[in-house]
Amino acid sequence: MFEVLIDQFWSLTLAGISLGFIYVLVSLGYTMVYGVLRMINFANSEIFMWGTFGTIITSRDIFGYTQTSAPATGGKLALVLISQLIMSMAVAGLTAIFVEYVAYRRLRAKGTNRLATLISAIGISIVLSELMRLLTDSRPVGSPRVLEKIILTEVWGANIRLDTIVTIFAAALIYFLLERFVQLSRMGKAIRAVSMNEDAAKLMGVNLNRVITTTFLVGGLATGAAAFFYITVFEYSKFNIGFTMGMAAFTAAVLGGIGNIRGAFYGGLFLGLLEVYASAVLGTQWKAVTVFIVLVLVLLFKPNGLFGEAVQTTRA
Amino acid sequence: MAKIGKTLLKLDNVTMKFGGVTALNGVNLEVKEGEILALIGPNGAGKTTVFNVITGVYKQTSGVVDFDGISLGDQKRYQVTALGVARTFQNIRLWGDMTALENVITATDVHKKSGLVGALFGFPRARREEEENREKAMEILRFIGIDEYSDRLAKNLPYGVQRRLEIARALGTSPKLVLLDEPAAGFNPAEKVELAATIKRVRDAGYTVLLIEHDMSLIMGISDRVVVLDFGTKIADDIPSVVQNDPRVIEAYLGVPADAS
Amino acid sequence: MKIRNYWNLRDFGANLWENAGRPVRVAIVLGSILLVGLLPFMGGSILATPIAAFDAVLVYPVGMFVLMSLGLNIVVGKSGMLDLGYVAFFAIGAYTMAYLGTTTNLNTWEIMPIGIALAMIAGVLLGIPTLRLRGDYLAIVTLGFGEIVRLILLNSTWSKGPNGIANIPMPPDLGPLKFELKNQRVFFWVVMAMILLTIWMIRRLTVRRPGRAWEAIRQDEDAAELMGIHTLKYKIWSFTLGAAVGGAAGVLFASKNLYIAPEMFTLNVSILILACVVFGGIGNIWGVVIGAAILGYLPDRIRFISDARLLAFGLVLVVVMNFRPDGLLPRKKREKAIVKREANA
Ligand SMILES: Nc1ncnc2c1ncn2[C@@H]1O[C@H](COP(=O)(O)OP(=O)(O)OP(=O)(O)O)[C@@H](O)[C@H]1O
Ligand SMILES: [Mg+2]
Repeated sequence: MFEVLIDQFWSLTLAGISLGFIYVLVSLGYTMVYGVLRMINFANSEIFMWGTFGTIITSRDIFGYTQTSAPATGGKLALVLISQLIMSMAVAGLTAIFVEYVAYRRLRAKGTNRLATLISAIGISIVLSELMRLLTDSRPVGSPRVLEKIILTEVWGANIRLDTIVTIFAAALIYFLLERFVQLSRMGKAIRAVSMNEDAAKLMGVNLNRVITTTFLVGGLATGAAAFFYITVFEYSKFNIGFTMGMAAFTAAVLGGIGNIRGAFYGGLFLGLLEVYASAVLGTQWKAVTVFIVLVLVLLFKPNGLFGEAVQTTRA
Repeated sequence: MAKIGKTLLKLDNVTMKFGGVTALNGVNLEVKEGEILALIGPNGAGKTTVFNVITGVYKQTSGVVDFDGISLGDQKRYQVTALGVARTFQNIRLWGDMTALENVITATDVHKKSGLVGALFGFPRARREEEENREKAMEILRFIGIDEYSDRLAKNLPYGVQRRLEIARALGTSPKLVLLDEPAAGFNPAEKVELAATIKRVRDAGYTVLLIEHDMSLIMGISDRVVVLDFGTKIADDIPSVVQNDPRVIEAYLGVPADAS
Repeated sequence: MKIRNYWNLRDFGANLWENAGRPVRVAIVLGSILLVGLLPFMGGSILATPIAAFDAVLVYPVGMFVLMSLGLNIVVGKSGMLDLGYVAFFAIGAYTMAYLGTTTNLNTWEIMPIGIALAMIAGVLLGIPTLRLRGDYLAIVTLGFGEIVRLILLNSTWSKGPNGIANIPMPPDLGPLKFELKNQRVFFWVVMAMILLTIWMIRRLTVRRPGRAWEAIRQDEDAAELMGIHTLKYKIWSFTLGAAVGGAAGVLFASKNLYIAPEMFTLNVSILILACVVFGGIGNIWGVVIGAAILGYLPDRIRFISDARLLAFGLVLVVVMNFRPDGLLPRKKREKAIVKREANA
């Protein structure tokens, strides 16, 4: 049962880390919005899915790559990859703003109960995924290979592939930049102020609507970047890939303590590794089940996450 | 005046910390059967926290809360109510979409025996209990003097009636001890006098009352004993006239400009 | 007291009901049941559906949607918990029927209680750990649960994996009433009976102690617990009753469809049912019935919607929540009439 795990430990670990970084970025979309709204961004999974199509469209329709064309090299490679990344982030970022505007804003202004907002958010995620289903005819869409999956070197029996390395380093860089943005910029400070104490922040003259829109945008950008890396590694997308990704990234966010940006980092990596190891032992069809069980266990026994602070305080 | 009996509730060296904030610091407190005990102190002194610890909203960091021989720390929140402790909320928390009567009936359900199956098949006991509860709830509304509002949705009631409905709802659970958290907040002097009379009637009907209030004149008029909290520490515990002249109290509480409510 | 001057469907109905004497009420109830019962004979009228036969549409989706929406409404509407995995209970009922129906010689009516019991057990098992969680966490966990049940069905051998289970037996005849696929009116009557039973159950419970407890939990859970309500117990009850209705619907569905496969039990079903509840009016039985009937029926009547059914339902969720959160028939009670109506229920 454990042979696969032992045999391929290092290559699994590498795959787990690159998957983990994708989770880190997507879970930022959950964690940041939760921080300011105390509400799950239900549509984040579909924001991710739309982002993957941003990546595919760039290589396929803007640069004219097909399934049979040769992968790019040199300057062209950098240009295509960077355009894909930007496009993916832009699509996801805009989708996130759209979601906030359509599903959350009005209900927030009215101050209605959370159930209504939750249902509205679920509605918008259904709309997003169904739109894509109709646009793609329910078919999976392959992404032409831009970045050749060259094996750079072999360490302890694990193949170090170019796409894995690019994913790990670029994703880490993007995470780092976003984290700095939230820590240091004026807007980032406003975001943190709101997530600590909304009323106090409002008294201090923070424009709540702008902060919330920016939070959705930043979360969307992170999620969009993740979508790009996802496509580079897995090379296809479909209207319904959001569900599994969303479940996993949300679990990662909860693991790290939802609302906590550093927590998303640890939670994402932890879950990425866990998922890869667990699939090696149990078979990939039980991947989603593993994630779900982790989620339920964490919510039950460590609802504040393994690394996080209190989220569920009740005051009477 | 009702006879004051044995100790009903006892807080023994109770400390409650929230992260770095010590809301209660080794508080000792006794409430005797049949008395009106007032709990006062400046804003943020920890008064509401005392209620929250008693009713199980928070679990104290250390110390023991004993009610009628039972340690409340081991009880679930709903069990505390069933044992005979009921409370009102400083920020009104009625069930707004229910009528006043339904709010009270729902509270009377605590001591009902019949459950879901009885309700479904309309067993005689379930029917009888429904009737009894309705009667009892109506009586409580009358007792508090708000029966004319029985059919109005709680959220549409005038503010003062909502406050009194909070008391009625608490009485609905047939408690031995009622915890009232600033029941007169936002009242004008005339309303306060009326409320003081109501609280007295509640006590005379056999309930024991622990009352948080800022208005000194209201407290002095009705309470048998006054406990003063300051920064989570008990600084006085005596009859009103003594507490009123205690220099520490004057400094901590009266010296600080008391808030307008 | 505010007096609303717009025409309010709910109040109109309530008025009609209150001003009627007992014989009139009995007549109204029997008359409506009779009218609805005659619906399967209306296949030739303007109601006719272009693709599927009208009587089949009445059973599924219309009847089944109404039934399941009533079940989900106990959870979402009465006690305010968002259950996004409702399809799981439907699936459990359906697979109980499929498995036992093809491997034993139990018939549909004998399997029905087993399916309901299994769905309820699943409800309790899921409920005990998760119903402590607050709103949105519960939504995600139930969402995951629905998907997990589907994955288990997809990857297990007893359920024949993706191939699904075929040759599920139809229900045995009820006296002179024969179940046929060509003409599904008997199925429809059975669904109707189940709907009536569910409505009876909900009405009974809502005017008594459990209903009040649910209502208190929905409006302010902390206050409810501090007023002595064992909130977890009542939440589990609500969840489990919802599960029971879903399970019953599943058993009948399998026995009518004769073939089931995991792909019939995706998240989409949960969302469709949620849309039905929300559209008609969360928490209001009659709203839910009418809403589910309309949303079940329209996509079959109007070609265009049936291609984009789920898209339309997603839009329904967003639009209704933003612009008319009470749905078609608002739950808000009128203040005056309450005591009288309760005494009559
Ligand atoms: N859940 C909580 N988390 C953190 N701090 C809390 C919490 N509840 C109370 N506190 C703190 O404990 C202290 C006492 O609060 P408490 O509400 O008991 O005061 P109070 O005496 O009722 O004041 P007031 O007269 O304003 O109602 C305050 O400093 C408050 O900020
Ligand atoms: Mg207070």
